[in-house]
Amino acid sequence: MATDIANSGTLQGQPVAIGEPRWIRITSITVTLLFLGIFLFLPLIVVFTEAFKKGAEVYFESIREPDAVSAIRLTLIAAGMAVPLNLIFGIAAAWAIAKFEFPGKSFLITLIDLPFSVSPVISGLVYVLLFGLQGWLGPWLAEHDIKIIFAVPGIVLATIFVTFPFVARELIPLMQSQSIEEEEAARVLGAGGWQIFWRVTLPNIKWGLLYGVILCNARAMGEFGAVSVVSGHIRGMTNTLPLHAEILYNEYNSAAAFAVASLLTILTLVTIALKAAVDWKSQVEAREVRAIREQGLAEA
Amino acid sequence: MSIEIRNISKTFGDFAALKDVSFKVEAGELVALLGPSGSGKTSLLRIIAGIEIPDENGGAILIHNEDTTAISFRDRRVGFVFQHYALFRHMTIFENVAFGLRVRPRRLRPSEKVIKEKVNELLKLVQLDWLGDRLPSQLSGGQRQRIALARALAVEPNVLLLDEPFGSLDAKVRKELRQWLRRFHDDLKITSVFVTHDQEEALEVADRVVLMNEGRIEQVGTPEEVYHHPANAFVYNFLGNVNLFHSRVEEGKVYLGELPIDLPAESAPDAKSALVFVRPHLLEIEHQRNGGDNFHAKVTHINAAGPLVKVDLVTDWGAPVHVELSHGRYSSLGLKREDEVYVRPKERRVFVKAETGDESRSQSTSSGRA
Repeated sequence: MATDIANSGTLQGQPVAIGEPRWIRITSITVTLLFLGIFLFLPLIVVFTEAFKKGAEVYFESIREPDAVSAIRLTLIAAGMAVPLNLIFGIAAAWAIAKFEFPGKSFLITLIDLPFSVSPVISGLVYVLLFGLQGWLGPWLAEHDIKIIFAVPGIVLATIFVTFPFVARELIPLMQSQSIEEEEAARVLGAGGWQIFWRVTLPNIKWGLLYGVILCNARAMGEFGAVSVVSGHIRGMTNTLPLHAEILYNEYNSAAAFAVASLLTILTLVTIALKAAVDWKSQVEAREVRAIREQGLAEA
Repeated sequence: MSIEIRNISKTFGDFAALKDVSFKVEAGELVALLGPSGSGKTSLLRIIAGIEIPDENGGAILIHNEDTTAISFRDRRVGFVFQHYALFRHMTIFENVAFGLRVRPRRLRPSEKVIKEKVNELLKLVQLDWLGDRLPSQLSGGQRQRIALARALAVEPNVLLLDEPFGSLDAKVRKELRQWLRRFHDDLKITSVFVTHDQEEALEVADRVVLMNEGRIEQVGTPEEVYHHPANAFVYNFLGNVNLFHSRVEEGKVYLGELPIDLPAESAPDAKSALVFVRPHLLEIEHQRNGGDNFHAKVTHINAAGPLVKVDLVTDWGAPVHVELSHGRYSSLGLKREDEVYVRPKERRVFVKAETGDESRSQSTSSGRA
């Protein structure tokens, strides 16, 4: 469609983007590319060159040593718990907000956004104040020999807190834009609540859901601030990948630090690729639907 | 199976969508709920289906003389066709139609083979068996409408409910599809109720028409009954084009300009004003004041494109009048703009206004000489 217009435009010898002189276009494109180059591509290259500076052997050694493996494991555990929980929470919250009217709805929406507006360090500190040794629940937890702060549960809690808006935020506008007619139709046809959810609602939100999950996962694995406060930085115990990279860097072990950082960078690249794929896929579907509808209208 | 609506009311917040509505649909009937938007007709249909719950005031919906209030959707067996079809957009047409069978509890679920036969049979019934593999987005509006119908029929419903079944289709497809629905109903004999705001559609398709306005039923009757014997001003006004004159009442007579019309005997004797209705095709245009049962008017506009000639006039007291003439009559009159003519009502209906200004609900009509 767009190419058709472009072609017909050039055929008539008319510039496609009317109004803006050539130099403005060139300048804006150059500025954008320069900016992306300095702030995105350059660091990306630096991460990998620094990581491989002392050779592939050192690189693989620094991500195979026990502390690094433990950090990888902890990062996977934190993300592995935060993502499914926030998936369930996100669907439930989006469902409640999009399909029902209840008092305090706008307050709930604001609340969901809270982790976006609060500094992660603050949210980490709140957990320390709550569950730490000097915190409100600290003495009780100590009595029952439950460790949350400076232990794995604290890291998981902080990760869940920081990442819980992602799925909900992605789904709320999507579900609000879809009427409940399909669900009503399923109900009249005799489907139960779960059948309606699995067969009708979920397929209609799958791309938005996947998108939210990808973003949620990326943040869960990359979170630094909140996790840093509650972790205590115990090597081989409570270090996640970002924390481990920071410790190595502070010890002037830059090759190892960048090797660990390169793992997170790869995660970022995979996330971007997945995001693009999901975007592309859902757009293709939307375009197909639109094209067919237009065709149908033209025939009618 | 019959449907009985008994004292149903429904309020949304402060808004009363339905006010104590009762009527009965006999088994095998095709009934139209007709009314302007906001008249409560869709709410009523959704309550019959069980999608919406009526106010708790002792009202009930009885299907086949059985109270459905406590019956689940699965056992209620209602076929519902949504205005915008509500097809499952990620499922093929086949899966859409099969849905009602697939979601049954395992012990009631038919085998894959039976489902396949059943769905194909239904797709044949709506003459779209070649579309099974497509997605709803790949179908035209009329095709989607028929698939929605096939899907509703898959659960072998006791009653079929259709919400504005032709509302989102263009005029030509509408006409075809409503004749198709009528034949379809005659073949299947399933008790059906459909909602429409289009009086032509209701009068053409339905066995009986339920006219609704502001949450109440104004009249229930066959298309002939409601058209020729309207119960009140609303019904007469709603069914077809009409000229409406606000007129004064003096000494038992309504005055249309200088033309006096007898008030119907049963009407309120102390009424101060009345509404006079005349359909455009029941007005005659004459050049002379023969006999005097007519009033004076001036031609303002003539539209001769179409099967009838539409003439707009204005009366001496400033009211606009629309008249429809045959082309033969039009050419024998030789009408032009600005012509001064006399308009004679061949039939008129008078509805007395109550003192409050509301149109009285008690019917009062008088037919002039035809």
